[in-house]
Amino acid sequence: MRSKGLQAYCFGLYAFLYAPLAVMVAFSFNTARRNVAWKGFTFQWYGALLRDAELARSVATTLELAVVASLMAAVMGMLAAYAMTRHAPFKGRGLYSALLNAPLMMPEIVMGVGLLSFFSRAGVPLNFWSLACAHALIALPFTTASIRARLLSLKESSLEDAAMDLGATEWEAFLQITLPLARPAIISGALLAFTVSFEDFVTSFFIAGIGIVTMPIKIYSMMKFGVTPEINALATCLLAITIGFLFIQRFLDARSRLN
Amino acid sequence: MAEPRVSRRDFLRLGLLLPAAGPLLSTLAACAKKPAERVVNFFNWSSYISKEALPGFTAATGVKVNYDVFADEEEMFAKLRSGAMGYDVIVATDYLLPRLRGSNLIAPIPMEDLKNLSNLDPKFLHTPYDPEQRFSVPYLWGTTGIGFNKKLVAKAPTSWWDLWDERYKGRICMLDSPRECIGTALLLKGQPETTTDEKDFEAAKELLLKQKPLVKQYTSATYVDALVAGEAALAMAYSGDVLQAVKENPHLDYALPKEGGYMWVDCMCVLRGAPHLADSVALIDYLLRPDVAAGICNAVHYASPNAAAQPRIDPAVLKDKRVYPPAAVVKNLRYHTPPDPEAYVLWNQTWSDVKAL
Amino acid sequence: MEPDLVRRQGALDRGLSWLIRGQRPSASHILLAPATLWLLAFLILPVASLLSLGFTHRGPYGAFEWVFTWDNFRRALDLKYLPILIRTVCYSGATTALCLVLGYPLAYFLSFQAGKRRDLYLALLMIPFWTSWLVAIYSWIIILGREGLLNGLLRALGLPPIAFLGTSFSVILGLVYFYLPFMVLPLYASLEKIPRSYVEAAHDLGAGNVEAFLKVTLPLSLPGVLAGCILTFIPCMGDFLCADFLGSPRTYLVGNLIQNQFLMAQDWQFGSALTSLLLVFLITGLYARHRFEEQGLFEESE
Repeated sequence: MRSKGLQAYCFGLYAFLYAPLAVMVAFSFNTARRNVAWKGFTFQWYGALLRDAELARSVATTLELAVVASLMAAVMGMLAAYAMTRHAPFKGRGLYSALLNAPLMMPEIVMGVGLLSFFSRAGVPLNFWSLACAHALIALPFTTASIRARLLSLKESSLEDAAMDLGATEWEAFLQITLPLARPAIISGALLAFTVSFEDFVTSFFIAGIGIVTMPIKIYSMMKFGVTPEINALATCLLAITIGFLFIQRFLDARSRLN
Repeated sequence: MAEPRVSRRDFLRLGLLLPAAGPLLSTLAACAKKPAERVVNFFNWSSYISKEALPGFTAATGVKVNYDVFADEEEMFAKLRSGAMGYDVIVATDYLLPRLRGSNLIAPIPMEDLKNLSNLDPKFLHTPYDPEQRFSVPYLWGTTGIGFNKKLVAKAPTSWWDLWDERYKGRICMLDSPRECIGTALLLKGQPETTTDEKDFEAAKELLLKQKPLVKQYTSATYVDALVAGEAALAMAYSGDVLQAVKENPHLDYALPKEGGYMWVDCMCVLRGAPHLADSVALIDYLLRPDVAAGICNAVHYASPNAAAQPRIDPAVLKDKRVYPPAAVVKNLRYHTPPDPEAYVLWNQTWSDVKAL
Repeated sequence: MEPDLVRRQGALDRGLSWLIRGQRPSASHILLAPATLWLLAFLILPVASLLSLGFTHRGPYGAFEWVFTWDNFRRALDLKYLPILIRTVCYSGATTALCLVLGYPLAYFLSFQAGKRRDLYLALLMIPFWTSWLVAIYSWIIILGREGLLNGLLRALGLPPIAFLGTSFSVILGLVYFYLPFMVLPLYASLEKIPRSYVEAAHDLGAGNVEAFLKVTLPLSLPGVLAGCILTFIPCMGDFLCADFLGSPRTYLVGNLIQNQFLMAQDWQFGSALTSLLLVFLITGLYARHRFEEQGLFEESE
């Protein structure tokens, strides 16, 4: 907006959000092995990062989980959101809508312990897939809500009707009109789901099977020994990649607009 | 929920993530041919083994070790009791053994297959917590005492009462553990740990609640960081945890109080229904080898119950009275008494109340 | 193309179109099947079977004994836990209020940005949450600690150091830090939907900036305010990590009490009773909100 004051305030708020990140980046260059006081400057942790196969594996595991879980959550969320917004109201829709938000409400510890004891009683093996399915459930409210909001705001659009007037079947209209229009919301929901899975600690802590070590679990298990600057170095790398992508994207966009 | 606007940027970001699917597929492929591989699933405290030990075992036997760690024993117990996780070998404190047995979680170990068992110092065998020596094999031992930052305390602590010193308000850490805290409170009140009298627990609770305004945190995991950073001056602590941290802050030290510290032995146990029993026994036997046990002791600064390993232990560690207390001090150390099921409820509810009230 | 293939494609298309049209409840049921299956298998059954423990007797070492009892609920309703509940509600309320006050101007600011710039600001808002919160908490400890950066700054200015860590301040700061986007995003979404022409019309009718905001923008953004408050308040009520890492024994919250029963005391029966009560508390709140909406006080927030 025009107001300089508001802009200054927002930059202040961003500074608050980025203060711990700045500390995190700074301490990734700290010579002290424990993350508590500044001792001196070094790149050694980045070297250690490259050599740490275990850490690399846990990054890969976390990313794979997040990709699978967010894809599952996106598909389920799309189907559910569509039925909830476009179909004729069915009995119990209000209740179902509340149920879709229930994973948000559950204390995570209850989810974790409940899933573990249920899995073991039902004979479900604790592996990558059971964890991914659980992550998808935790992420489901995010994809559903995001897609639902979009479908609701598109409800009045008559593009689908127009397509059908031109001879398309409902399925074709869905495929060529609704789905592309809903795409931004599907992606934003999937991104939120990705974040939720990527960050999830408590549930994973309980139901990650043997040898499945996600990053949050790995970091937690290092807590006793102190979070080493190596973890900071890793987080810094991930941060740099994210920001790098942001700028590449802006650059590509600017170029495509020139053409 | 909100709907943040999304553009091609996000597609690109997803694109970045897709290559991650490659390893995923290879993992799946690996799963398919898994049965051929021999593994042992080992569940241990974090930072409680040397770097060389497990690769050495794999090199010697061809058996791979899946090594997972926990930071808190009760968390480990909570996981085990909620169902079969598939672990074979765990490391648990002596104190936990009756509960592990009572909950039917551990199985007898075929001791006759452990040819290195004789390496252990006999005083760690047939102990009160496993008189028949059927369920446990000692791994490391240590003490519970007071860790402190020499720069922040007027004088080195000598008594448990120093943890009640008003001068250190907000700079005292206590272990998040009923046995350590309530055990100490009972000791200071002159009551035996075997008591089942609710009045004794009430008194212990009063004592701990009196201390609570001084306590910075009840934690079994992060107190070392607090000591290193100078956030905490004093902490009820496990010996090796503090001694490992001296490297990072030379002002740290560890003392056993005059009322007597606690000693404990962490033991290897085999879980009931362990999927890889034979290889588990082989792993335990391997960890009893003198060179391996000495390597672990040198790495983690906890004392080894392995007598045959003694000559190979770094003399600096062996002579450190904080790791290997002299005989006179050891006499003053005691094991915690594991409570029976009824007393166990009292211990836990008292501790839950101390933290909640 | 073979006529047979055409006919089969037609059948497939007809089936899919029937699903899309969704005039019969069974079509909805089919589309909802995956989500329903997931909710059942990964939420309802596990959580219900765990919470049912709250009605059972606690066996030796916390073993499960399927004997009915109200004991756990009686214990959970003990007045000695009331201060913890009050503290938790206060912290969650303060966090929600702070997030609202801090986040509203930001969401308002974002709603006036367009195109690339807005994308950038939104991305910058999300990036901190792509960073592991454990690392972020550790960074906060470094900032707020007794020997930390903030106190270093105070010392450099010749001021006495302040104990930030282990206070209500540090816990609420942590909560605000982690839940701010849950407030800002719904706020932004509802502010962004308000047609600019409404505000302009208010101006044309002689309203000043402040009046236009109070009479037009603010009321229209209320659904977003409500959604944001709910998304912030509810997870705060169950949070235990902020109090664990940034708090002290004097900032013990309901989440910590529950977590203690499951992970330390091995008293799952009592933990389940506590959780059930917390859920009843939250669901009552949500139901009240639902009734508000039915009375037309707010339009559907999504």
